[in-house]
Amino acid sequence: MSVEPVDRTIDRRAFLARTAALAAVSAAGVTVALPGVASATGRRSPKPGASLDQPNAYTRPRPEALADPTELTIAEAGWLIRAGKLTPERLVEAYLARISAYDGTYQAFNLVLAEAAVAAARAAARRPRRGVLHGIPLAIKDNYFTEGVRTTANSLLFQDFVPPHDATAVARLKANGGIVLGKTQMGPLATTRATTPAGVVTTVNAWTPTNRNTDPGGSSTGTATAVAGRMATSGIGTQTGGSITAPSNAQNLTGLKPTMGRVSAAGIIPLSYTRDHAGPLARDAKDAAIMLTAMAGEDPADPRTQGLPDVPDLIDAATPVYHRNRVKLRWNTRIGVLPGFASGTSATALARQEYLARLAGIPGVTLVDVPLPEDWSQLTGGTFNAIRLPERSEPFMPYLRTDLRGFGVSVISWLQGALMGGNEFITGQRAKLLLMERVLDQIFDVCDVVVQTDPVPFDILGLPEIAFPIGVNTTGVPIGTILGGLPYGEDRLLSVVAAYQAVTDWHLRRPADPPVAAARARAADAPRLTAEEVAELTQ
Amino acid sequence: MAPTPPTDAELNILITARLAALGIDLEQLPPGTTADPETGSPGRDTVLASLRSFVRGTVTALAAYQLPTPEAGDPETAKALSQQRVPLLYPSISTEWRKA
Repeated sequence: MSVEPVDRTIDRRAFLARTAALAAVSAAGVTVALPGVASATGRRSPKPGASLDQPNAYTRPRPEALADPTELTIAEAGWLIRAGKLTPERLVEAYLARISAYDGTYQAFNLVLAEAAVAAARAAARRPRRGVLHGIPLAIKDNYFTEGVRTTANSLLFQDFVPPHDATAVARLKANGGIVLGKTQMGPLATTRATTPAGVVTTVNAWTPTNRNTDPGGSSTGTATAVAGRMATSGIGTQTGGSITAPSNAQNLTGLKPTMGRVSAAGIIPLSYTRDHAGPLARDAKDAAIMLTAMAGEDPADPRTQGLPDVPDLIDAATPVYHRNRVKLRWNTRIGVLPGFASGTSATALARQEYLARLAGIPGVTLVDVPLPEDWSQLTGGTFNAIRLPERSEPFMPYLRTDLRGFGVSVISWLQGALMGGNEFITGQRAKLLLMERVLDQIFDVCDVVVQTDPVPFDILGLPEIAFPIGVNTTGVPIGTILGGLPYGEDRLLSVVAAYQAVTDWHLRRPADPPVAAARARAADAPRLTAEEVAELTQ
Repeated sequence: MAPTPPTDAELNILITARLAALGIDLEQLPPGTTADPETGSPGRDTVLASLRSFVRGTVTALAAYQLPTPEAGDPETAKALSQQRVPLLYPSISTEWRKA
């Protein structure tokens, strides 16, 4: 059995003692020695990127996936490439064919790098394999810098911006053999579901391609639609207020928003610097683990990534374990259930009830009722959520002074940020510690992971969240759910989802291909978001 | 005695003056309440109405918020300027950064 996950290796008493000491020191304006936060096990795990060629990274393909390379997960495609039964070029060509046939309807991509992707695939075939990501086509949200390739964040402000280098996360994916297939549509400046900068809805949910009114989730909409619509094996997005988890839930994907600092944000066009998380939108837990393993780790260009626990073996964590042919949890885990999570008779409530029942049947799972922490709705609601807004206005001041119309339909929240005073901003930062203390003391004192009904609270705190499918509603649209974890507890989250996915098949379901005639003919009928609506919906 | 809440006209002056002090001129936006059809930019009056609501609601509520007294603290010394929790930009990262 593998070693313990890292989430419980932080000594709580030392953490709280140090927090209290810091508060006293801050008020008194003096310097004292502070107790360190002890590591309970002292375990240090493998260095990032070291484990992408390990046996558990590869999965023998399902029979139904052998007939169509676009159906393969990363782990399956990597298995075939390693065995010499699939070439990166054939895989890229298969995706380009689907993009050519269907992206007129989906509108998932801002830019498709067809020639470059084919060239990269051919080059990959000539190079030694670098691990399971070798030759895997990926969809990249258009707020990640891509060297020599236009990076717009879907905003008029950056319509001609060509970065001189890759974002760190993109560079790491490429260094591990990933192929950038294209840049994906997103909410303008990462605010809402994907629209034009003027608010006209573009990208559709791959499960209802002829109905633009079905929410595809935002703001990493295009990446989600590309992966769900089998136009890329996997992809990456960013999350400030649910922008990975929401589109993953909406489109039957497994999305992982890591703990703040786990993945470098260097080279990502910012929205809210304390809350911009980079992470994968994948087809299952194993693929999410592979992607995060490639992306994660220290980066000299982003101090937030430094001084943190080493990246654990996420791929092992996402590999189901069996006892006498029965799936069991890799690590015994107490799963916290918030009040009302599965109450009612709606399709979502019924799916949640079935989900909890399936979880409860997995050896090693203990379901635990947990309360909402004191003042939860106040500390996580709209008012305190708004303290992120100066973070978006401050770096954009040059644009606010000269090109307000360049913000398009998104301008209001940037002006709100410019209006908020320093006092209010600091009060909000103090409230973050209060919220963190209560989450640790009132939720995680009795559980290891906790169900989420809204991604925002853990976005405020920078805690990890994993989104994954648990059902479909009466119209065939996926129903997903979210689990949240302790700081740097991605390994435990992946282990729970991997076990759940070993006993269910929701994550294996794919949407039907859209009718080709549905393409852009109906673009004139596309709904449009107003500036007031965007101000309400913005991440 | 609490000050009289500002009127719409007073808030408009506050908002435009604050933004002007930062170098932001709302005159860049279309007049009135009609959005620019090309960029989607809302009209100035629409923006001002939204920002007035933001100041009256969000900013006022945040400014009025009083953090609870830290555990074992003295309420008399826990008001502003004394023993409040520290502001933390990155609560999750700080659990590790405070190890040293």
